Amino acid sequence: MRREIIITLEPIDEAALRAGRQISTGAGAVVYFLGVVRDREGEEPIRAIEYECFREMAEHQFRLLFDQVEAQGKVESVRLVHRVGRVAVNEPSLWVEVTAAHRQEAFAACQWLIDEMKRVVPIWKKAVK
Amino acid sequence: MTVAVTFFSWFKDLAGCARATETLPEGATIGDLLRVLWTRYPRLEPMQRSMLIAVGVDYQNRDYVLKPGDEIALFPPVQGG
Repeated sequence: MRREIIITLEPIDEAALRAGRQISTGAGAVVYFLGVVRDREGEEPIRAIEYECFREMAEHQFRLLFDQVEAQGKVESVRLVHRVGRVAVNEPSLWVEVTAAHRQEAFAACQWLIDEMKRVVPIWKKAVK
Repeated sequence: MTVAVTFFSWFKDLAGCARATETLPEGATIGDLLRVLWTRYPRLEPMQRSMLIAVGVDYQNRDYVLKPGDEIALFPPVQGG
């Protein structure tokens, strides 16, 4: 399984990520998810979210999650970009792409990765009002 | 032995610092370390139920036996995405 993890202070460049996509002739599905900062935290309006990361551990925990996806043997590639630092409203903080032979596996792996990320990957957010 | 402790997210605010070192007897566990930390940083103790604990880059529980030079990280539930 091809894999890529990027944790970056830079804005997520969707066009560049799409341009860098590599799929085999056996791939029938490309699913990607973009997480974007909302303008509210609960009832409170906010301007941005400040993301803090324990980078070494975050990269390690992402690798462990990718290992579990790979062990299922149904996914061809996973690429994940998480932006850290200050991310303004409407800007993306997360981009995940999964390619697979079939859409069910691609959707399921993408959803599972995001759910698990929110459980184990050490990244925290703080609202900027 | 000496171990290093790093606090992340709002645990830094509760502790009043990002990093500390503690000296403990050989054979001490993470549970023993936490009892020392509660006396030094009492505002952290109420957070212990939701606190996540890592040694190096792996999660560990309170029974983990510490080794000299271990890097312990304490932090609240994660919130990526």
